[in-house]
Amino acid sequence: MPDAKLYDELVALIVDTCHIQEELPDVIDPESSLIGPDSPLGLDSLDAVEIVVAVQKHYGVRIGGENTGREVLDTLRSLAEFINQNRA
Amino acid sequence: MSEWLAPNSFQHRQYAHCESGAVAGLLNHAGLPLSEALVFGLGGGLFFGYVPFVKLNGFPLMTYRCYPGGIFKRVTHSLRCPVVQKRYRHPQQAMAELDRLLEQGHVVGLQTSVFWLPYIPAALRFHFNAHNLLVIGKEGSRYRISDPVVSDLTWCEEEDLCRARFARGALAPKGRCYYLQGPPQVTDLRPALVHGMQVVCRDMLAPIPVGGIRGMRFMACAMEQWEQRYGVRKARYCLAQLIRMQEEIGTGGGGFRFIYAAFLQEAAVQLHCEKLEALSDRLTAIGDAWREFALSAARCCKGRDETVTYHSLGQQVLDCANQEDALFRELRETTRTLKHQLKGL
Repeated sequence: MPDAKLYDELVALIVDTCHIQEELPDVIDPESSLIGPDSPLGLDSLDAVEIVVAVQKHYGVRIGGENTGREVLDTLRSLAEFINQNRA
Repeated sequence: MSEWLAPNSFQHRQYAHCESGAVAGLLNHAGLPLSEALVFGLGGGLFFGYVPFVKLNGFPLMTYRCYPGGIFKRVTHSLRCPVVQKRYRHPQQAMAELDRLLEQGHVVGLQTSVFWLPYIPAALRFHFNAHNLLVIGKEGSRYRISDPVVSDLTWCEEEDLCRARFARGALAPKGRCYYLQGPPQVTDLRPALVHGMQVVCRDMLAPIPVGGIRGMRFMACAMEQWEQRYGVRKARYCLAQLIRMQEEIGTGGGGFRFIYAAFLQEAAVQLHCEKLEALSDRLTAIGDAWREFALSAARCCKGRDETVTYHSLGQQVLDCANQEDALFRELRETTRTLKHQLKGL
């Protein structure tokens, strides 16, 4: 199970990458949608491209091939679990 | 009833792309377990096309894969798999035929419109008429669906499925259904692997201006004019559409380049060919370059990076085209050698 530190790191990375300027909720539920209208971060599919590249550069894990981006970017938890499982 | 026809034994799994996933599902059920990447490669799925005089949802047709139905057709042909494919004029006839096939124990593939499938989240539905799914059973008025891009088996009401099968517009499915009549006759995959690679090399290096490497160069030049031709707003929509076709609609990222690289890697093992492994690594790097292009394009759409221009985006596409040109020429040479080796066995 991913730890809180990784969640915080990811939120900071996403905020920085996607230039989020709106005020964020104090706590972001790892189970909430990452992309789409229900996203607490207000991310859309163009942001998803930026996140995929940022995650690859930062953690050295490629989201692609038969690992569907849709599945990995479903929630903060699924993204964190994917990073934990795949980084060297 | 043969065991391979029993839908109760059907094992659902999620795939990146609908058509290669549906074909992999059918073949796995028929007793030939193949990965999605192998199916995609055997079906010669990789391509690039930019056809500005054909519009899809109001945008120039841009594609990173072969025509819808092409993967199913090529894979089943290569593996000598007896299949039936049908289109219908009347929805009632199509649904009655589907019921009859399910009663006979077939797993049936359908071409549908994503927009009319209620189990797909509303945010992900759009007007795309070439979505593939498998129907494995029926209970009352509901069909049991194995949708390759959905994580679990799901249900769909008859009325909704009928609407999705007969949606109108570009690539209208016209009730298209397909199923296997028997298991594949080919057990040695090696000749089919080489043939699949040859198909992709032929298409990518074809001397037509809108397809393959030449299609990429054509688009790279054309996109420098998008702002003048379409205006700032619509040019950004065009870019967003291009990103969607490359990174979203089940491509596995990098416009199917990562999936094809995985195919080359599997083919390298089966054909004992180190050269294919090296080409796989290079194609993965090219996929990363396409992704860098998508990143720049996304920033351009969002107005986040003023250094990105349509000219610089065109240059990135040209760079990808040059790299792919060299790669597919080498792959073509490699397949010729492999073909001679296989003939000599």
